[in-house]
Amino acid sequence: MKPAALSFEALRDAVERLPDDRLASSRRAALAHLAEHGLPTTRNEDWKYTDLAPVIDISNRWLQRERETAPSHEREKMVEQVCRSIDADWLVICDGAIDNRFATDFEQPGISVTRLSEHGGELQFGMPLSDLNAALLQDGLRIHIAGGATPSRPVGILLIDHAATSPGMSQARIEIELEANSAASFVEYHVSSGAADHYANTVTTLRLGDNSRADCVRIQNRAGNHSQTGRLSVVSGRDSRFRHCAFDLGGKFIRNDLHVDIARPGAQVEFNGLYLAGDQQHIDNHTRADHRVGPATSTQEYRGIVAGSARGVWNGKAIVYEGADGTDASQTNHNLLLSDKAEVDAKPELEIYADDVKCSHGTTVGELDETALFYLRTRGLSEHEAKQVLTRAFAQAIVSKSPIASMHDTLADRIADRLANLLQGAGA
Amino acid sequence: MAPDPDNIESLVSRRYEHGFVTDIAADTMPPGLDEDVVRAISARKNEPEFMLEWRLRAYRQWRDMQEPAWAHVHYPPIDFEAISYFSAPMSDDDRPKSLDEVDPKLLETYDKLGIPLHERARLAGVAVDAVFDSVSVATTFKEKLSEAGIIFCPFSEAVENHPELVKKYLGTVVPQRDNFYAALNSAVFSDGSFVYVPKGVRCPMELSTYFRINAANTGQFERTLIIADEGSYVSYLEGCTAPMRDENQLHAAVVELVALDNAEIKYSTVQNWYPGDENGKGGIYNFVTKRGDCRGANSKISWTQVETGSAITWKYPSCILRGDNSVGEFYSVAVANNYQQADTGTKMIHIGRNTSSTIVSKGISAGHAQNAYRGLVRVMPQADGARNHTQCDSLLIGKKCGAHTFPYMEIRNPGAKVEHEATTSKISANQLFYCRQRGLSEEDAVNMIVNGFCKEVFKELPMEFAVEAQALLNVSLEGAVG
Amino acid sequence: MLEIKNLKASIGGTEILRGLSLNVGAGEIHAIMGPNGSGKSTLAQVIAGHADYEVLAGTVTYMGKNLLDLEPEERAREGIFLGFQYPVEIPGVNNAYLLKAAVNAKRKHQGLPEIDAFEFLKLAKEKMALLDMDPKLLNRGVNEGFSGGEKKRNEILQMAMLEPKLAILDETDSGLDIDALRAVAKGVNALRSPDRAIVLVTHYQRLLGYVEPDRVHVLSQGKIARSGDKTLALQLEEKGYDWVREAANG
Repeated sequence: MKPAALSFEALRDAVERLPDDRLASSRRAALAHLAEHGLPTTRNEDWKYTDLAPVIDISNRWLQRERETAPSHEREKMVEQVCRSIDADWLVICDGAIDNRFATDFEQPGISVTRLSEHGGELQFGMPLSDLNAALLQDGLRIHIAGGATPSRPVGILLIDHAATSPGMSQARIEIELEANSAASFVEYHVSSGAADHYANTVTTLRLGDNSRADCVRIQNRAGNHSQTGRLSVVSGRDSRFRHCAFDLGGKFIRNDLHVDIARPGAQVEFNGLYLAGDQQHIDNHTRADHRVGPATSTQEYRGIVAGSARGVWNGKAIVYEGADGTDASQTNHNLLLSDKAEVDAKPELEIYADDVKCSHGTTVGELDETALFYLRTRGLSEHEAKQVLTRAFAQAIVSKSPIASMHDTLADRIADRLANLLQGAGA
Repeated sequence: MAPDPDNIESLVSRRYEHGFVTDIAADTMPPGLDEDVVRAISARKNEPEFMLEWRLRAYRQWRDMQEPAWAHVHYPPIDFEAISYFSAPMSDDDRPKSLDEVDPKLLETYDKLGIPLHERARLAGVAVDAVFDSVSVATTFKEKLSEAGIIFCPFSEAVENHPELVKKYLGTVVPQRDNFYAALNSAVFSDGSFVYVPKGVRCPMELSTYFRINAANTGQFERTLIIADEGSYVSYLEGCTAPMRDENQLHAAVVELVALDNAEIKYSTVQNWYPGDENGKGGIYNFVTKRGDCRGANSKISWTQVETGSAITWKYPSCILRGDNSVGEFYSVAVANNYQQADTGTKMIHIGRNTSSTIVSKGISAGHAQNAYRGLVRVMPQADGARNHTQCDSLLIGKKCGAHTFPYMEIRNPGAKVEHEATTSKISANQLFYCRQRGLSEEDAVNMIVNGFCKEVFKELPMEFAVEAQALLNVSLEGAVG
Repeated sequence: MLEIKNLKASIGGTEILRGLSLNVGAGEIHAIMGPNGSGKSTLAQVIAGHADYEVLAGTVTYMGKNLLDLEPEERAREGIFLGFQYPVEIPGVNNAYLLKAAVNAKRKHQGLPEIDAFEFLKLAKEKMALLDMDPKLLNRGVNEGFSGGEKKRNEILQMAMLEPKLAILDETDSGLDIDALRAVAKGVNALRSPDRAIVLVTHYQRLLGYVEPDRVHVLSQGKIARSGDKTLALQLEEKGYDWVREAANG
């Protein structure tokens, strides 16, 4: 089978139609990069289990058609719903465009929010799909936390897309920088609506100053017919702490890349995730921690519950460079497979070039623990109830690792809804 | 008839004595590979038409294939046109005349491994008399086997005497176009072993290449086929702890195992091809395809390997668990020292119901070496009740080496239970000091700790092989610490 | 037997021993006491030859030899035994195997043949019985998954098998229940002999109730602040370490 190709003619036209602002030269450079390197195929080890054909198809159809403007009332309703349910100071990006009302009014001590087009710096686009993102980017957000600042409320970033009748595609880019000794938390929320196909592609960069702390929660709850690829790149400073928790509840075709670069000693990095996949969903989480120096700690735990004809992919990689003594890296991945049409692909990788290290990984794929099931049944629960209880508990382990405590209840509710749905489909 | 166990034991303990080497009059073909070369190889071996056709099909497929590049190894490109695909055993004129002409370093190693004198001569390639008193050993051995109905002979002999078996099983586990090196091997393979154990027969002794008549030069493209018919059992030992030197840098062997209903095959390997010198010069490229097919219900295939040699090892002994309740096992110790590179592991493909597999991999890296475990566990949708447990441990000795783990789990059955664990450790300064405080030298302490690390795998080896494997490990890691 | 003069030693650039002098004669039992951080364990490690400790000044003479010139294993073979405060776990290495290898390393050094396997096992079991040790521990990995008490008894077992000339027991009594303490004391007392010296490094007086020392030294800030007979230990118990510190400073 011939790999799907992006139609470059149409892409070039689309890039040319974007405003001739301070990002224009970056867009053209990214386009050239994309033209030269193309998009990754399944022959590329990092894309072995995820074929980009479906999103390339959406991109091509989007490039060749008239854009529609989303109906504002529906969007307003969703924005309001999300912003109300989670306590945060919100920024909103709709269909790849920054919503002025939120960005302009954003005033919190120690936090400054600007547009990338105001800065005119170079956009980073060396990694797969980040070139596509840079080439088609309308504008992005830059969030800057001043040295020593410790804002009390999380910064919320809502990414919302809509595709009613014709295929949609959007690019979003957020650059976050924490200066030394600051501490802040961030919520990234992805939602979408509409009956037509949609593909969203996001790039987030996070730079942690010395002794700074960032707590992040990402929730992806897109419509069941919509796709997303996202990349988060983190560079950690000396003695900094980064905690991230990702929840993939919705969407059809999802690929997340999380890359942490530990370039200064003393960093503590923790990233966890939960993916719930049913129907025809394809959810792929790739994580990578580059331990360039030691001592530093990275721990991660991802859990997946996969039902229907869905496919859950997890690939965790830790690279320990020569001389990075005192590295402690651990990876854990547990999966529950609920249907005989579903598939789990797991790949925990370690590449180690230093000897004074502690590295481990553990992965399991299987069913619920039979002893626990039996125990609950002896206490009077039906098999169905017992399975629900244990499955919820399996997911809850990740919720409780989520670094923003105020969100735990909201998360637990969302996950319970989605699980009820999955378990019904699984006939449990 | 049941074999006399005492007699067998005495045979086994005399295993360093070996068969004779017959003189094959043949020259070396010019380098390069095309259809004519394949035809010439086949002709020289007097092969039947079906064999030639089979080789040619493989060659045509190989021509269109790409050399794999995914392994975690680096080496200069191989010029396949510069290789001679058929070479006769070295003539006596080219060999050292006596052990005095052999590299003293090599002799020192033989000494450490406790290899008997006359065996050293053969290993070092010294021209020796073709007839030893061990001919009688080999003959007794062959008699025992044929009494039980077991066929154990060079592959070329099997093509001649048992074409129906070869036709039925050859390439059914590793198809010609399975991978680049397997295709190359299929086109030009030199020789190897063939084993057939009939229904219900338990092979009365460990089959070892040591016993094999004409084992001296099977060449760089070895091909082995072992078939265990229903309810049979066989244990096969391959390799040798002594360092093996070979003029051919590229080795691309293929091993196929077939286990029918209720049959069991145990395949043990000690690989100690020349690893190159301490600066990484020279050494064998060992690109091997080994696969077992648990074709029948309740069958079992168990791979145990101790890999210490070769500059580059690329090897994944695998099990296709097709039969219901079949069992696959992989126990591996891979040592990489100096500039060696190893990318090795296994594949367990669960197809039948209630199939189970166990993987225990112990990787030891020292010097500037790179040692990677690469393994796949795949559970197909119909494989209800599949079970896998993988334990994958790395031990690092020194600051310049690398230890890598690349496990793949592809699970498509909700009733499957798959567990993978991996750890990395080093020999800690505290452990060494503790042992030294008890009076052990640093080297002995390292050897002791390394052997402890590998214990789970060594216990799977046949007893006398295990003892040698330990000694081999110690020699392989010489100079790794301090 | 052991003569330490003005020993100064540091770890990681921090000076711990600051001019320590000590003489231990054959047949004597010395107790070295002192508060945490006074240098007790450092002294034990330096005598055994741990590479992390740097000797800055002073001399250590053992049986007329300059001990500081010897590798750890040479010291061990010459008859120095260190009972570790934290015995190291070596997974996969059989306890009996290490024991036998250690015994043979020493025998080889002495020009003796290797110990017969049967004899070795018999001897090990005898000694284990004396220490109330489960013989099954012989077949486990070295200290792997041992309880605190089992680890300490295992140290004493190794000592009993190796029959050292100079044994230094670093906090062998810490973390032991009364039964284990008694068993350890029994093992130590059994080794008392006119040609053997034993140095007990300890924080508390507890063990000294079972093993009576000839001399007691109190370490403070890397030096011996006070020496005396066994009554010194009792005085310490009563008055605490501050008393010594004050006495040393005053």
